[in-house]
Amino acid sequence: MVSLQLGGLGNQPEAYDVIIIGGGPAGASAAIYTARADLRTLVIDKGMTAGALGLTEKISNYPGVPGPISGAELTEIMRQQATSFGAEFLTDKVVGVDLQSSPKLVMAGTGSFHTRALILATGSMGRTNIVPGEEALLGRGVSYCATCDGAFFRDQQVAVIGNTDEALEETLFLTKFVESVDLIVPTPTLKARPGLAAEVTEHSTVRVHLGMRLKEILGNGHVDGVRVQPRIGDDAVLPVKGAFVYLQGAKPITDYLGGQLATNDEGCLTVDRDLQTAIPGVFAVGDLLCSHMKQAVITAADGVIAATGVERYLRGRKEARVDWG
Amino acid sequence: MGLLAEKDREYLKNEFQALGRPVKLVVFTQERECQYCRETRELSEELAELSAQIAVDVVTFDPDGDAARQYNIDKIPAIALIADGPEPVDYGIRFYGIPSGYEFSTLIEGIMMVAAGDSGLPAELKKQVAAIDKPVHMQVFITPTCPYCPQAVHLAHQLAMENPNVKADMVEAIEFPHLSNKYNVMGVPRTVINETYHLEGAAPGAMVLDKIAEALA
Repeated sequence: MVSLQLGGLGNQPEAYDVIIIGGGPAGASAAIYTARADLRTLVIDKGMTAGALGLTEKISNYPGVPGPISGAELTEIMRQQATSFGAEFLTDKVVGVDLQSSPKLVMAGTGSFHTRALILATGSMGRTNIVPGEEALLGRGVSYCATCDGAFFRDQQVAVIGNTDEALEETLFLTKFVESVDLIVPTPTLKARPGLAAEVTEHSTVRVHLGMRLKEILGNGHVDGVRVQPRIGDDAVLPVKGAFVYLQGAKPITDYLGGQLATNDEGCLTVDRDLQTAIPGVFAVGDLLCSHMKQAVITAADGVIAATGVERYLRGRKEARVDWG
Repeated sequence: MGLLAEKDREYLKNEFQALGRPVKLVVFTQERECQYCRETRELSEELAELSAQIAVDVVTFDPDGDAARQYNIDKIPAIALIADGPEPVDYGIRFYGIPSGYEFSTLIEGIMMVAAGDSGLPAELKKQVAAIDKPVHMQVFITPTCPYCPQAVHLAHQLAMENPNVKADMVEAIEFPHLSNKYNVMGVPRTVINETYHLEGAAPGAMVLDKIAEALA
């Protein structure tokens, strides 16, 4: 019997009260408040090191947490706090939403989820610049989804470029098909969770290149190699047939919205005083907004404002109920 | 044991209560020499068990046979999804290869859409699709492990439902390597329009229509 892995069904027929996309300080703080308000809460996040805080190494100025503490640890504390109030966390990637349907629909890799309200907390680690060759060779060896495209590179040499949990998980996925993977990590160390980092580092068909930057993707009609710049020394060309790119930048991540909400010139979402977008029941928080400085404590506060807005929206209250507890 | 898990059967039974009119899955298969033919047939039959509104017609594939000609089927396994009843309507919605993995949801969405008799496209897009006056053949290449692919396939199926000039195929890239080679598929979803034009990724409706316009110009 083959395993067909029939998936993508709406495996949660009952709608959540609120789904929060993004589990950084804004999303996790919102979850603490919505879950504590007895709202059925689901947080969907790509992974612990997907966002700006998750990648921060030492934090000593988060009020109430003396530190120094890593961003991933601080995020984990917030998540545990939210979980203790009943919030559910799902490690998955949201690929699309339908904001106008009722209930609203969130499509993720493992299935579709319905929700009455939505908080967008996906941050601003989206890429701004692409490297030469990337656009022309998209679908011709350049890919952003190893699980989608890995099977086209059977017994070939490929590169994965990035340093998130997602990049490392996709690296391991590719090892099932390919001859070898060159993992090109722009930073001097791996930032993924320790178990995952160890699994990748110790894998016999993965070569990890720390502190190496992707300069160009080479090929005419299909990828023939990637030009990279090591930390020390001259540029080199790695002869790969596939380039799986998971780099990050500083642009608000809104691609999964499919244009359902307008963005301003800086790519940010606009919201009202309650952090609600133009679509009722859809809130946006944290670094998706251009309105304030990028500090974890401020985005956490955003999450709380939106959470109380969600409660008002769902329960039809005019004013927020202050929870002094 | 069937292909569908009990949990999914229950979920689908409930969803299928909303089926407003009958649909038919015309499954082209061949017990031998066809990878996933049997599973595609069994999957279709299991779905039909969940609702009286879903019928399955299993056809042994003969490239020169009447059925293959009627439904314009040239490879298997294939499913033609049509509106059934006294006056069946074939919108040109096809699945080539097994709709498994993420693509299973596309088959379900397709069934729901055809049964509802409404593509669900926004009014503005419907107007634009209605204006297409030349044949458009969309082949959306997918892999079962691609979470972005169902959006691309379903959109193509929605366009097919809106306009009889549009035919839309899901094509499982790994099962049809000769087609993947022919159309240079190395990443999915990749939508091939009228043989020579193509789009990468799950593009929004407006962008797909622009590409169709380009192909028809």
